[in-house]
Amino acid sequence: MNRIEKAASLVALSLLVPSAAAIAQEAYLALDAAKLYREQAAYPPSSRALAAGEVDPIRADRAPSRISLGGPDGAAPALVVWNSAISYEAPKAVDLFASLETAGRKVGALVITGDVLDSSGQASGTVQYRDDGIAPDAAAGDGIWSARWQGGKLAPGTGDTYLVKVLATTEKGEPRQAAGGFLYGKPGARATGRYRDEVRDGSLILSAEVEVLAAGRFHAEGTLYGANGEPLGVAQASADLPKGMAWIELPFYGKMLADRKAEGPFRLGSLALSTVGRMPNVLNDLALDVYVTRAYSATAFTNAPYGDAKLLDTAVRLERSVAEKQ
Amino acid sequence: MQNRRIRTALFALAIGVAAIFVSATSAANAQPCLIFVHGKQTDTNTFTSYTSARNYWVNGSHDFVRTATKSFATPYYVVGYNGTRPYWEAQAAGEVANEIVNATNGIADGGGHRCTKTFAQGGTFLVVAHSMGGAVMDFILGNDDASDPNFNMTGPFDVASQRISFVITTGGAHRGSQGADAVCGGSNFLCNFIAGFIQNCDDATNWLRSADAVQVKTFSNAPSKLIYLSGGYEAIFGSSACLNGEDDGVVQYASIFACNGSATASYDNTNVCGNSAKQESANFRNLDGCHENHSDERDDSDSDVRKAIPGGIWNCGTTPCAPNTTVQSAMTTAQFISILY
Repeated sequence: MNRIEKAASLVALSLLVPSAAAIAQEAYLALDAAKLYREQAAYPPSSRALAAGEVDPIRADRAPSRISLGGPDGAAPALVVWNSAISYEAPKAVDLFASLETAGRKVGALVITGDVLDSSGQASGTVQYRDDGIAPDAAAGDGIWSARWQGGKLAPGTGDTYLVKVLATTEKGEPRQAAGGFLYGKPGARATGRYRDEVRDGSLILSAEVEVLAAGRFHAEGTLYGANGEPLGVAQASADLPKGMAWIELPFYGKMLADRKAEGPFRLGSLALSTVGRMPNVLNDLALDVYVTRAYSATAFTNAPYGDAKLLDTAVRLERSVAEKQ
Repeated sequence: MQNRRIRTALFALAIGVAAIFVSATSAANAQPCLIFVHGKQTDTNTFTSYTSARNYWVNGSHDFVRTATKSFATPYYVVGYNGTRPYWEAQAAGEVANEIVNATNGIADGGGHRCTKTFAQGGTFLVVAHSMGGAVMDFILGNDDASDPNFNMTGPFDVASQRISFVITTGGAHRGSQGADAVCGGSNFLCNFIAGFIQNCDDATNWLRSADAVQVKTFSNAPSKLIYLSGGYEAIFGSSACLNGEDDGVVQYASIFACNGSATASYDNTNVCGNSAKQESANFRNLDGCHENHSDERDDSDSDVRKAIPGGIWNCGTTPCAPNTTVQSAMTTAQFISILY
């Protein structure tokens, strides 16, 4: 660094002192993080309490989102594309939707088509979107154009992520393009519909039986709902399983129930199973409201913090670094 | 009597010097180590050449690493991974995780720079990630426990995660980029994207699209460590017109600030998603917005305005500044990071 650079650096540093606005306090991030980690250490990594009013994160994760892209220089209308789901179990049909929109209002289109490509870029078909009220299109002339793509049969545990290149022509004859996509695969395991529950070491263990069609690694996550219909917490588990029947245990750490004085029975409101360990993961359809447990007293559950050693260690390090700095 | 006074004065001076030395040593010990993770690349140079990885953060005489480390007073380590591969692959997330472990063990990066205090010695480590580096860190921190879906899939995510205190992303592509949609969707003729970031629909770009089917959130749990979010709203002529809401010319606000819902939703400094509306249910937090483009965010070249955003870090008096308040008139992101630790 030469002298001019040093001088410039000093001037720049002098500008760092804010006059009216400032970050909350020195080393704010370290203290903020340490505080949060101490709170989160009350639960194991496999389980988390949901705050009152918090949405079910598993259902939110599986909600398909809309993708939009405007024309040249952002010109209206924008082409908006979406699916009925983010993933599909083979050989189910994939329903695709598109609309041309100006400021959120649907406008007419002359034609909309889509090219479906697999992750290697290989063409996997072309679809014609229609707005004629014939399935999968819900209503004729409503500006929502619909198409259906039918994939082939797959071996259990296999799947892919697909790109849908959508091309629309506006009523003025202008092109609009957007890129959608979906996951399509045959899961390596499926839930049989048999469940069981027990209290173990102060936590609620909810087990789901699965039929493993192809050996592999599997992930399950579930959201537990209380009697008032509110989600209370989530739990997850992963396991390497051989072909055959198996049980996957979802450990809902007891503190989430004890702290809210939640009495059973509890409802497994969401269950997401997937075949994991390689990308893309193959997602089973989301299962909703699959099981209701026996009744439990809130006193059956532990209210003791779990004490996640890794998070507590990070908190200690951060707090120590702040103390040493001061 | 005079000798006694002199001895007393010398003793006091020695105590003072010792106190200053201890204080300085203590302050030095308190320094974290900064680990820099770059973004999307159109070639493998940052993976094969340390110089390329280091130069990612440099623009002429401007040097993000120098400024963020307070003229190198803070120890640092620069990661180089294959930015042409999908965020989850061994040469991306796997390489980054391995390099984080190396850094925390005191091993030097390709330029000979090392964290002076290892994890075993009680060190703390902050990751600064730009662009696709955000998605890479999301994948590592969201798959670091045996109960997570893709636990340690391509690298030692658990060890790397345990050793990180938190992450700061700048222009992070947490929800991908609409630029990737345009390039992979065939509409790249409509927008002139910065060739250095998005040139064609290569594998990394394909996995940075806005579709849920490729988003890191679909394949990860919530990050186990905090990810703090900052990013730019300085448009780039030609490309910003193709991005919804505010953007840095390559990544739109919905992605920079890891918003839930649509990755292509329009946001600005007044309404960008707050800390309870993120792509995961925990551990993403807003810092601020800045008038920088996607390059400025990582090269310290644009000392410009910074703005408060919902749930952000800036206070006006004793309360959080109203969204879109100008909180700094001339501060680069690198300078901003230098005052955060």
